[in-house]
Amino acid sequence: MIFRREIQRNLKGLIIWTLVIGGLTILNLMMFPDVAKQQAAIDQLIKQLPQTLIKAFGMDKLSMADPMGYYATKGYLMIILFGSIYAVMLAGNMLSKEHNEKTIEFLLSNPVKRSGIITQKLLAIFTNLLIFNLLITVANYIGFKMTKAEFDMGVFLLLSIAPLLLHLVFASIAFLLSSRMKKSRNIVSISLGLVFVMYFLDIVSSVSGKFENLKYITPYEYVDAVGIVINKSISTTYLGIMFAVIVISNFFAYWIYQRRDIAV
Amino acid sequence: MPVIELQNLTKYYGKHRGIKNITFDIKEGEIFGFIGPNGAGKSTTIRILLNLIYPSGGKAYIFGKNAVKNSLEIRKDIGYLPSEVNYYDDMRVFQLLQYSQAFYGNENPKKMKELAERLDLNLNKRIEDLSLGNKKKVGIIQALIHSPKLLILDEPTGGLDPLIRSVFFDLLKEENQKGVAIFFSSHILSEVQSMCSRVAIIKEGELIKVESVENLIKNQFRKVTVTFEGQMESGFNIEGGKKQEWEGNTVHLLYGGDIGNMIQTLSRVQVRDLLIEEPSLDEVFMHYYEN
Repeated sequence: MIFRREIQRNLKGLIIWTLVIGGLTILNLMMFPDVAKQQAAIDQLIKQLPQTLIKAFGMDKLSMADPMGYYATKGYLMIILFGSIYAVMLAGNMLSKEHNEKTIEFLLSNPVKRSGIITQKLLAIFTNLLIFNLLITVANYIGFKMTKAEFDMGVFLLLSIAPLLLHLVFASIAFLLSSRMKKSRNIVSISLGLVFVMYFLDIVSSVSGKFENLKYITPYEYVDAVGIVINKSISTTYLGIMFAVIVISNFFAYWIYQRRDIAV
Repeated sequence: MPVIELQNLTKYYGKHRGIKNITFDIKEGEIFGFIGPNGAGKSTTIRILLNLIYPSGGKAYIFGKNAVKNSLEIRKDIGYLPSEVNYYDDMRVFQLLQYSQAFYGNENPKKMKELAERLDLNLNKRIEDLSLGNKKKVGIIQALIHSPKLLILDEPTGGLDPLIRSVFFDLLKEENQKGVAIFFSSHILSEVQSMCSRVAIIKEGELIKVESVENLIKNQFRKVTVTFEGQMESGFNIEGGKKQEWEGNTVHLLYGGDIGNMIQTLSRVQVRDLLIEEPSLDEVFMHYYEN
């Protein structure tokens, strides 16, 4: 019931985010043939960029002449960053909207368990993010086909699954916040802050050897395209950490929400 | 078995008092009033009954079941009308009612239509376009439609016009005749007096008294303001009048005796104006504190 309603309520957002991000990735890949043609000129250009900037975008390890390398430094970045923004806005509002608009009093006066509410809302978040990532993957596939260049299907699939995991991590954290906090505005602000700070930390850790250990705390590192393209795999340590964050966040969301006083 | 049983029910929000040691029962088939000024703890008590908040101490039972542990079962048989009705703005009235009914596994379009007709509510309107009073009507239908065994009403008449209010009271009386118990919270004394058999009076989180309405009426007193023609001797006295305060040729007092006697007394002098009002709740509470 709640699940169906949340799917309906969030459908418009899903369509808009998918169209915008899917469209941008396709547009981006459409530019690849031109970029590949002017490879020499672009290499020249890149060499003139500051070393830190090159490292920040992984351009020191990946070739822009290869569609996967090109995608990893441009379109992929958009999906992990903007997709995470979508994920925290979706998850941060899922439960807190009921509290903000005081409809939670109505909902809980019906015979429905609090754990049931959490389960259905989480399912709605996961379903939305799954559909979003699936459609983006389809858009990407079309984009790659349009480049007419050869690419490694295994790496392509890894680069499609990794953003989903990242989005689930951020969504789970935002949802955990909403199990305790009342105001959507604060929840979304904090989790958006997290999305950007973590991204910043990822850049710092890849640019400067001094702060290399920072990479363990930023989820962007876990899904870093450079690593995936070079190793053709996602590190099991990182997979484990992401899995743990998702499970633990959602476990505590249940635990906290069951015990919370619902004051409207 | 009482429908609702509260034993030393206590709730603190951090250090702030919600309610303290509230104990009373509501019997089967009873319309029970719960009266007190705003902020007295009425809504706190009700929210514990619905398991929206957890008690800090004491116990609450509904239909003999623990209100915390067996809340899901209990809520199947409760109709709740909150003081402030908040629904999803994007839904239409009938969609909201269907959504609510689905949780009970019960659909009754016929009853929905009947209730909407009696309350003069358009089921096709969007929730966001409804006035406060019309939202309250949706709340009334939502509370009644699944035929609950207990109605919990938190200041239910706010926003309703007098005509709809009387339809609402008729509906409540019909439900009550079918054996539905009603827990009626209000800060309007006259409403509670006309509907309820017994009332609990609460102030600043504490139960002051549980009393039958009969006794309440017996002890009833009125706020009287008399303006006399010309200057009165300050010695003039109305028997049974408390707290007389003079202001020129006007006197304010609380009158607890037979209204007839007072009118006879007044008929012997020249009266320019006479105002007899129901005392405010605070004044009723003053009375209870004094005794």
